[in-house]
Amino acid sequence: MISILAKVKSNELVGYGLILPYLIYSLIIWVYPLMWGISIAFKRWNIISTEKTFIGLSNFIQVIHEPLFWIAFKNTLYFMVVFIPISIFLSLSVALLLNRINFLRSFFASGYLISYVSAGVAYSIVFNLMFSGNGIINTWLSGIGITIPWFSSPKIAMASIAIIVVWKFLGYYSLIFLAGLQSIPKTIYESAEIDGAGRITQFFRITIPLLNPSFTIIFIFAIMLSFNVFTEPYMITGGGPLDSTQTFVMQIYYHTFTNLHAGYGSSFAIIVAAISFAFVFFIRKIVEKDIS
Amino acid sequence: MERYTLIRHDFRSYEKLLTYLLLSLGLIPMVFPYIWMVLASFKVPAEIFDRFIPTSLTLEHYRMIFLMGSTGSANPFIRALANSLLVSSVTTLSVVIFGAITGYALARLRFKGRNLLNNFILFQMLFPVVLFLIPRFLLVTKLGWINTYQGMIAPFMMSAWAIFLFRQFFRTIPQELIDAARIDGCSELRIIFQVMLPLSKSVTIIVAVFTFMSMWDEFLWYLIVTKDYNLMPLSVLLGLFTKGEYSSYPGIQTAGATLLTIPILIIFFSFRKFFTEGIALSGIKG
Repeated sequence: MISILAKVKSNELVGYGLILPYLIYSLIIWVYPLMWGISIAFKRWNIISTEKTFIGLSNFIQVIHEPLFWIAFKNTLYFMVVFIPISIFLSLSVALLLNRINFLRSFFASGYLISYVSAGVAYSIVFNLMFSGNGIINTWLSGIGITIPWFSSPKIAMASIAIIVVWKFLGYYSLIFLAGLQSIPKTIYESAEIDGAGRITQFFRITIPLLNPSFTIIFIFAIMLSFNVFTEPYMITGGGPLDSTQTFVMQIYYHTFTNLHAGYGSSFAIIVAAISFAFVFFIRKIVEKDIS
Repeated sequence: MERYTLIRHDFRSYEKLLTYLLLSLGLIPMVFPYIWMVLASFKVPAEIFDRFIPTSLTLEHYRMIFLMGSTGSANPFIRALANSLLVSSVTTLSVVIFGAITGYALARLRFKGRNLLNNFILFQMLFPVVLFLIPRFLLVTKLGWINTYQGMIAPFMMSAWAIFLFRQFFRTIPQELIDAARIDGCSELRIIFQVMLPLSKSVTIIVAVFTFMSMWDEFLWYLIVTKDYNLMPLSVLLGLFTKGEYSSYPGIQTAGATLLTIPILIIFFSFRKFFTEGIALSGIKG
């Protein structure tokens, strides 16, 4: 009896021993920075000086009075409005096609995934050149009499950025949808067929509702991604033309590492995180359904 | 009746054909940028923008990247490639090791506070990176780690996502195997690395390739903590040169982009099954 107790006790100690590295690491690199970030958001502090003044909510108030904050907000919404519907439509289409084949399925699945591994800097360089004013795409388009100012028109620059991000994530989202499609039992379709339901009815009454978990996760991923766009506009447009591709992260980067206002940048980041939380929360409320 | 099934069969195969046709057509825009990039990196400057198939090839752009560093060091791009490989590999190794250790403790050992830690890990995954950018930069500055490999690696050494994945998988391994190893006198660490990990090859590879890929792709953090060309990973060096002195040399840019792409493509092609599996895994759980 005593030896069993001792064993349980030592087992517990082993457990603590094994989680200790992670615990310490989390305290240093996660908990502490989180607290620090919150505390400097209430201070006026230029990184290179030692002087920090507590200024209450002033930073936060200043952020929401800053025109560029709202411009970045508008740009992020614009990005989402283009990115989310297009990527969901295309990736669901690809997943439905992949779900219909067996032969060569893994070949096509990894084929569509090839864009996902491309590094942000690499594909930004490539798309910037391909879509430039006199680039290959416009050269081909001019064959049918049009050219599109992809990255140089303030009206469509953000949409162009959204489209290249669609390229990157299309295969990734397709595979999430495919996994969802394969988890739907075949018997449901069979009994629907017996009941005389046509393919279109089956699609809207069975496939779409039962894919709900896949939709939910893709919406969440896509929203979090939209609030984190940085590399593509940094590399391609630098935030222009006319601030049309300024994003939240670019603003935070600018305030903190160019202007060196760490306190202001930190309050900016907190507001952005809060907005993205709110978006994720609402989209879950709207999209997520309990299926069984 | 026989005729009907025959027609139906034909209809089905026609549909199959259409499916394959659509899938193949869709693949073209996915692969095209890669082909264009590689071709452009060998083109003479006059043909980069508007000609798809080059009429003559040149190695000039690669020569510039490999041999002519104008920044003091002989070839900063080779150095940057090595930096990227080093930083990504070390991070990957660390994420796998600590992911397995912590995941094992959470899956197979009983201790007070285990559920709390489980919840904490899920909680951590919800927080966006922007929240940590500035204070982590301040922390790394305070530690004197700006412009060091430690500074680049520090925020990524352990991953809640990896721990979660290992924990989920380790729960499915039969207890008898662990008991048998304990009776043989194995320490818990040996159980983790000699019993659990070999039985969890696919999860381990999934964690490793996804971690490596995201480190290879990482840009913002490295941009913030590296100032010295000799220490920069390839993504940052190429990014800065593209915006800077190579801004009007598209050939050199595409050669650099090719250099940045090849290693990760090699990994992708060697482990493509694990990439597709890994995504399906994160999609199902939700």
